[in-house]
Amino acid sequence: MKTNKIIILLIIFLLSISGLSSACQPPSETSSTLNYGLTLAPSGIDPHLNASAELGIPLSSVYDTLVFLDPANGEFVPGLAERWEISSDGLSYTFHLRKDVHFHDGTPFDAQAVQENIEYTLNPENHSQKAATMLGPLNQMEILDEFTIVLVLDEPFAPLLDSLSQVYLGMASPKALEQWGPSEYQFHQVGTGPYRFIEYIPNDHITIERNPDYAWGPAIYSNAKASIERIFFYFYEDAASRALALERREVDVMGEIPPHEADRLASSSDFSLSPVAIPGQPLQYFVNTTVEPTDDLRVRQALLLAIDKESIVRTIFGSHSPISNGPLSQAGFGMISAPPPSSHNPGEARQLLDTAGWILEGQDTHRKRDGVPLSIKLIAPDWGSNSEVAQLMKVGWENIGVNVELIIAPGFGALKEIQSSGDYHVIGINFFGTDPDLLRSFYASDAFYNWTGYSDAEIDRLLNEAARTTHVPVHRMELYSQIVRAITDNALVLPIRDYVNLVVTQQRVEGLKFSAQGWFPNLIDVQLSSP
Amino acid sequence: MVSKSHRRTALLAVIRRLLEGVGTAWAAVTLAFFALRFASGDPVASLLSQGLASPEQADEIRISLGLNAPLWLQYLRFLTNLLHGDLGSSLYTHRSVSQIILEQFPSTAVLAVSGLIAAILLGLILGITAAWFGKRASGMIAATIAALATSIPVAFAGILSLLIAGCLLQEPGSANGMLIRLILPAMVLGFASSGPIARVIHSGLSESLRSPFILAARARGIRRGFRLLWHALKPSLPPVISLTALEAAFLFTGTVVTETVFSRPGLGRLLVKSILDGDFPIALGLVALAAIFYTISHVFADLLTLVIDPRLRRAE
Amino acid sequence: MRFGFIKTLCVLWLAAIVLLALSAPLITSADPYTPVSDMLQSPSYHPPLGTDALGRDFFARTAYGARLSLSIPLLSTLLTVLIGTTFSLTAITAGRLSDRIILTIANTALAIPGLLLAMLLVAGFGPGLSTIVLAVGLGGIPGFIRLSRSIFLGIKEMGYIDAAYALGASRTRVAIAHMLPNAAPQLFSLATTHFAWAFMGTTTLTFLGLSGDPSFPEWGAMLNSGRMHLIQAPWLTIVPGILISLTILAVHYLGENYADH
Repeated sequence: MKTNKIIILLIIFLLSISGLSSACQPPSETSSTLNYGLTLAPSGIDPHLNASAELGIPLSSVYDTLVFLDPANGEFVPGLAERWEISSDGLSYTFHLRKDVHFHDGTPFDAQAVQENIEYTLNPENHSQKAATMLGPLNQMEILDEFTIVLVLDEPFAPLLDSLSQVYLGMASPKALEQWGPSEYQFHQVGTGPYRFIEYIPNDHITIERNPDYAWGPAIYSNAKASIERIFFYFYEDAASRALALERREVDVMGEIPPHEADRLASSSDFSLSPVAIPGQPLQYFVNTTVEPTDDLRVRQALLLAIDKESIVRTIFGSHSPISNGPLSQAGFGMISAPPPSSHNPGEARQLLDTAGWILEGQDTHRKRDGVPLSIKLIAPDWGSNSEVAQLMKVGWENIGVNVELIIAPGFGALKEIQSSGDYHVIGINFFGTDPDLLRSFYASDAFYNWTGYSDAEIDRLLNEAARTTHVPVHRMELYSQIVRAITDNALVLPIRDYVNLVVTQQRVEGLKFSAQGWFPNLIDVQLSSP
Repeated sequence: MVSKSHRRTALLAVIRRLLEGVGTAWAAVTLAFFALRFASGDPVASLLSQGLASPEQADEIRISLGLNAPLWLQYLRFLTNLLHGDLGSSLYTHRSVSQIILEQFPSTAVLAVSGLIAAILLGLILGITAAWFGKRASGMIAATIAALATSIPVAFAGILSLLIAGCLLQEPGSANGMLIRLILPAMVLGFASSGPIARVIHSGLSESLRSPFILAARARGIRRGFRLLWHALKPSLPPVISLTALEAAFLFTGTVVTETVFSRPGLGRLLVKSILDGDFPIALGLVALAAIFYTISHVFADLLTLVIDPRLRRAE
Repeated sequence: MRFGFIKTLCVLWLAAIVLLALSAPLITSADPYTPVSDMLQSPSYHPPLGTDALGRDFFARTAYGARLSLSIPLLSTLLTVLIGTTFSLTAITAGRLSDRIILTIANTALAIPGLLLAMLLVAGFGPGLSTIVLAVGLGGIPGFIRLSRSIFLGIKEMGYIDAAYALGASRTRVAIAHMLPNAAPQLFSLATTHFAWAFMGTTTLTFLGLSGDPSFPEWGAMLNSGRMHLIQAPWLTIVPGILISLTILAVHYLGENYADH
């Protein structure tokens, strides 16, 4: 019978497939295991050397830092350092360390360990992408006794405590650093945190396990010890697959869920949505002030006025994102006065362009001046919702007679290549952070990320002074308010929306709270309700 | 009985094909080297522009990568290293490229092999059904499905399968994860690759079913059913086998897209990422390996044809 | 010989797609770039196919999308056919040595998958629609050379070619005046099949996000951006997917059966 052969073939087919797939381990789901979804698969996960925010999600529970930033009031609380003093000239920071801490490999935590960590980070051969820059003008370290260390700076550096509160300067076991070396250490990380690092299979998963000896958590943690036994982290680079993964119960928690999907999931009783504001820079676009036509302030202002931020935010992000008007998010920077909201006024934009000499003649769709058309090259990165935002910005600008060429750069490398070539008018990039000194990397005249090309001695002076104001926070914030005003007055940047991370969890996940940096969950406090 | 001179000619043919293969592989790897160089320009420039190296460091890096040597020398070094299995280190993470590739290899290999098996099985089923049942409904349906298999883009097939699977699997369970992670992508890949196989079997089998030797077989008393099918199928097998080896080409494209749609780790995505990021050593390593793999499969296909055909012919 | 039923269907479908592309501004008053309404509205009376994630008229995007989706593979096929035919014709008519050289180069280039070549080109020139035309066009040349060469080889072995040489015709004249016209039907069939390949390749590249500007309506790119909202708005992926599949199916079928005439 012919049907027989078909049945037999099908059986062979299914058997071979299941045989092969038995090689794969499905994520197990017990009351003691949590499956967490990450997004980008970073090229490396050593926080001392790599820059991605993704790596901090698992690793901020593997490491402790000298101090912690309290999201409730923006103050620094003791971590591995019980207390600290800053000299009046702001050049010496003396840290008195806890005496009861040991690393996951049993070695004790002491001042020597701190020094070796910082040396490892600063070693130019290790090519630290982020952590090294966070230490600023750190010049030398002095060990006063077994648990006391002094960090000495060349100049006052206000962001230092903030840097020391981040996972990138988490304390690792010097023995492990020594044993594995900079390339291999990321696979064998040893810290002091509430979770132990078990393994990292690139592009596949990261595993961490509860540290039963943990007894030195900072005050911002609710629990003294972690309750979940094991946590697995899986990668979901493709945004379209994240909501599906939650629905298929592959993961219990996942962030960066696209806004409409998040709403859909939240409407079901199986999931809860936790929007987390991420402090730092908003989703924004820098304007190149060194090339025509954007070297003209009026053109820049017109571009800003022609963007219908409200409509963009509503369309793409639903109700989840505050509109942004300045170079810093409202979250985390409440003490810096924000600029007044910019209006959506295409009429005024058109007038500005007319005044600047860009006229619409007759049947033209695009403005011209002396026969040259008004053309803007808009470069958007391919991550997040930049592509959609840029498309809608383009619509707004075409509406006022600007010819827009939109290019989505595939990856940071491509983005930077275009930027280095100078062939752009508007380009999108933003970084996150909890210290306003972040602005210096973007607006100082010689800053690496000064993609506007704007050079202003006054802004430079203010930025430097603010970085050095260690002792009077109010004065420091006032300086930043002035800087923000200068940036806004010169229309250097087109801010769109403050970043809100949409985190969706299965119903059984309780107690999920995030650190001050916004991205990193306090996994020690997460519990699973009984199924 | 295979005579001695027959055996010697066959051996010579095999050796010649192997040498040709080596030549093609070498030429392809060379093409890859220069094509990538042209595409990526100065590898260190991308490091500089991303701030991952200062201008002073850049010079050191150039020296350590051997970039200050003339291009032909770099090419020779690349070749010698390749023969030793050394593909250099990633520009960004400084990890060994061969190590990175080895890490990603199992995932892609599992997907590709499952996909290939699925393609062969599905191709066989569709082709046989289409030829055996000819004008009847099942035959026409099978033929249509085979045609669809060649026309539906892999991406769309993947998305459709996700939709269907999502609708069908409503109850929670982590077994679903395994289904989605391997079975579904393998089936999609298999489906998309089964078209050519189905077509070859369909036309080959149809023709052979009408041929005199089948009539003769039936006259000899071989009943309808499996045995007849097997006899009719035999002549079609050589092209199918060589086609299967050539399917390696399609599998590559298929894995890149499938890995994207199903969020699977693997070499396909690594390749796209390394090209777009400008991580030249990884990209070059992967392209070179792809070229070598292709050549091997082409040579294998040709050799298989050489082996199978004479034997079958001799058997009649 | 009656024109088969299925063949008629294929021709009708292709004609419909081309018509859609050409008459897009006439069929719909909406423009595919500007949001008209709330996002992700389901198909209804108006707008006919609902809206996409940015609130744009999806029917307008589909209709205008036909233009780009058809013209890019068309242009690249033209590129491939012109360059490929020149090479293969030269290979067959210009003597043993050129044949060997051209064949070896083509075989070598074939060892690198077409998609890979295309991605390298995109990496070199940056993403964009013109790069895709170039990439798909150049990537298809080695395969086209091989296949068209066999066609010419078959023609060459016909008696009348030798006759032409015997009558004193130069190689160029034989090539252009004799081989080309005789090969034309088979070449056309090959080009048609190749167009299907180019169409598939284009949609793969745009699906992977290499088209540069996603606001341009193009079916492969739309397939990709629709994925974000697969469950909420499945038609955003299904419509372009079906259009792509049916078009490739139709072209394939016609191309394969054309040579039978």
